[in-house]
Amino acid sequence: MSGILSGLLKSSPAVVLRHAKKGALQGNLLIPACARTAATWHPDPKYFEKIGGPCFVPEGGFVTPIEGGRQLKPFYNLLEMPVEKKIRNIQLNFGPQHPAAHGVLRLVLEMDGETIVRADPHIGLLHRGTEKLIEYKTYMQALPYFDRLDYVSMMCNEQCFSLAIEKLLNIEIPIRAKWIRVLFGEITRILNHIMGITTHALDVGAMTPFFWMFEEREKLCEFYERVSGARMHANYVRPGGVQYDLPLGLMDDIYDWATKFNQRIDELEDVLTNNRIWKQRTAGIGILSAEDAVLWGMSGVMLRGSGIKWDLRKSQPYDAYHLVDFDVPVGSHGDCYDRYLVRVEEMRQSLKIIHQCLNKMPPGEIKVDDNKVVPPSRKEMKESMEALIHHFKLYTEGVQVPPGTTYTAIEAPKGEFGVYLVSDGTSRPYRCKIKAPGFAHLAAIDHMGREHMLADIVAIIGTLDVVFGEVDR
Amino acid sequence: MAASSLLSTSRRVYGGIARLPVLSGGGVRTICVSSSRPAYKLVNPPRLEDVSWVEVQERAAHSIFMNELLRGMMVVIGHMFKEPATINYPFEKGPLSPRFRGEHALRRYPSGEERCIACKLCEAVCPAQAITIEAEERPDGSRRTTRYDIDMTKCIYCGLCQEACPVDAIVEGPNFEYSTETREELLYNKDKLLTNGDRWEAEIAANLEADHLYR
Amino acid sequence: MSLVDKLGNLIRAVKQNGGLFKSIRTFYFTDDLKWGTHVGTDKYGNRYFENNYYFMGRNRWVLFNDAFRLEYDGSQIPPEWHQWMHYTTDKTPIERPPVQHRWMVQHEENKTGSSKDTYYPYSTTRTKIESWMPKNLR
Repeated sequence: MSGILSGLLKSSPAVVLRHAKKGALQGNLLIPACARTAATWHPDPKYFEKIGGPCFVPEGGFVTPIEGGRQLKPFYNLLEMPVEKKIRNIQLNFGPQHPAAHGVLRLVLEMDGETIVRADPHIGLLHRGTEKLIEYKTYMQALPYFDRLDYVSMMCNEQCFSLAIEKLLNIEIPIRAKWIRVLFGEITRILNHIMGITTHALDVGAMTPFFWMFEEREKLCEFYERVSGARMHANYVRPGGVQYDLPLGLMDDIYDWATKFNQRIDELEDVLTNNRIWKQRTAGIGILSAEDAVLWGMSGVMLRGSGIKWDLRKSQPYDAYHLVDFDVPVGSHGDCYDRYLVRVEEMRQSLKIIHQCLNKMPPGEIKVDDNKVVPPSRKEMKESMEALIHHFKLYTEGVQVPPGTTYTAIEAPKGEFGVYLVSDGTSRPYRCKIKAPGFAHLAAIDHMGREHMLADIVAIIGTLDVVFGEVDR
Repeated sequence: MAASSLLSTSRRVYGGIARLPVLSGGGVRTICVSSSRPAYKLVNPPRLEDVSWVEVQERAAHSIFMNELLRGMMVVIGHMFKEPATINYPFEKGPLSPRFRGEHALRRYPSGEERCIACKLCEAVCPAQAITIEAEERPDGSRRTTRYDIDMTKCIYCGLCQEACPVDAIVEGPNFEYSTETREELLYNKDKLLTNGDRWEAEIAANLEADHLYR
Repeated sequence: MSLVDKLGNLIRAVKQNGGLFKSIRTFYFTDDLKWGTHVGTDKYGNRYFENNYYFMGRNRWVLFNDAFRLEYDGSQIPPEWHQWMHYTTDKTPIERPPVQHRWMVQHEENKTGSSKDTYYPYSTTRTKIESWMPKNLR
């Protein structure tokens, strides 16, 4: 602690300065770096040149030699010994306007130099009270809110909510609807991983893949638009099936795209996977052991990157996932690099599932044939009085869901997205708790980011793949 | 059974799994692997301790000659000669489907009579409560709206209003180029919505016709 | 696509745009110079082109009426051409004329910001409370 510092070190944690001039205000001057300096008196630099610069006063109170061989003499009429001060580390506010904060994350970082001592994520800047709002909406009206939770994997959220309602209603949707859901669930997974990987790469300095892959993302948004009418907030997967059937020619176009997309992933991998800069920035960064991953409540890629074989699509298949053949990639080191590899491989597996969906898409209905749950088609509604009554009942009062409780979870691209739904038998949910994977992932940022450098925090945020729509809800 | 096999294989992959009380204990969640094979694929397997001399040589060569950097750079340079993927808006435009949900419009019957009968289904179903309707009886005895306001700043473009409408009066048209400089210009009233319908009827009708089999 | 192709395209584009001077003018206004078949002109004088040599998204384009100069806007395209421009349909309104009703009105571009024609909301109902005006004061 008896290091010698030359010049005016305002940024050092705390420098006890002693100056040897008579008539100075006090013998001691403390300049904590985190304090506002406006109210603090600083001696001017010229003064320090005279005495050779400031120095630390060690606990014992004696003075060490300083640069140039000059020694700072003790203040001859020093009345008080330097008081021991508590030294605090620098606190750095990261975000919410920081472009690498992925939205509105405010991260308060306690730093020791450039090393993270503590990372404290502050959330709530995008809180909209979705869960409470849903309690005042009918099940149909609540569905668009799910698009806006994780706004880069829209249809997966809808799928989860719809599955929860279907479970409470105890209905089985038609097989074609299941396949459509799987098809678009996997398109959504690719949509999300493109976003996750490329913005991660962008944050650590690789801008090119971002532009390449967003061209593909644009095409996927276009598929969304063709099937639902909106490029992002689809409102497509409904309780009891899906809203519309796939338009003619859409499957051909998806096939065209799917045959070419593997090359795009190859290009991405050419630029990133073996690249030494990318490896240096990600390999060995943000290591999460398998045990910690479970204890921190991780799910999805964060869990699989640490070597745990867990995928809800395999362990408790929903919709048509038990009918498709795919591999679940599992990492082994639990660092950012493995999670990146897992995401890339998941995109390839999604592509495999998409191909299977296109090949095996069965004909048939896309909604449950029950007008107590699903509104009748427009043709029916205009011709039949009974259908019209059902139409009016469903769009005003909504579906009557029998009383019950369910926790339904799906493997969303980010992890386990769950909906805990309590129904009291009316047409509005009594309670709807949303389990968002990003929330648990963000909570572990302190654990993962400790003892890392500041720049690694950016890589860790990227690998967490947080989206604040779902974290803040 | 399936659960234990799943865990034993993962134990081989990662030693730490053996210490997991959550999974190896009573089983918080029932695991049913109904898929024919528990297909998990290991990416980036842990490196072996004894590395062969050839591998060391290879790695050194890669490191010195910057193979992967050059390869990546070549891919990037290759892209420079490709056609740019951007389009020159507003001279060129991206594709839209007949289902596109854009600016709202109120439609009319071919006779010119407005379709909306003030049933207020759209008002009831609107999740954002963006629609306000007031209705009165007209001198000729038919029930029509006197006020049909949509707050476009509240609207979330979910399309539930057009689904709910029993007479196809309110539709979300194909127009999305209605950005305004002030907020109040987005508070649409009935006249504005009807004019929208009168302007865009050609396309709205074509879109409804194109999609009628699916609706 | 080779360099020769690109050069050929450029020559064709310059030829179609009516010589070097006019091509420079078009390039100045649209930041692009392309060649294609002229599929139609709408009633506002906007000219529509198609050339499937370019990839989808760029194979249909519009050159706004020269009178607009730099005041062009995406919303100046009328609905019948709008759907062709946005690939909603492959048929131009010339091949398949749009529906006609006597109550349909002329297309109008987005008038925001032009203080005169801008839409501002107003109430379409009578006020529920009417202030009382004493008769003898009138």
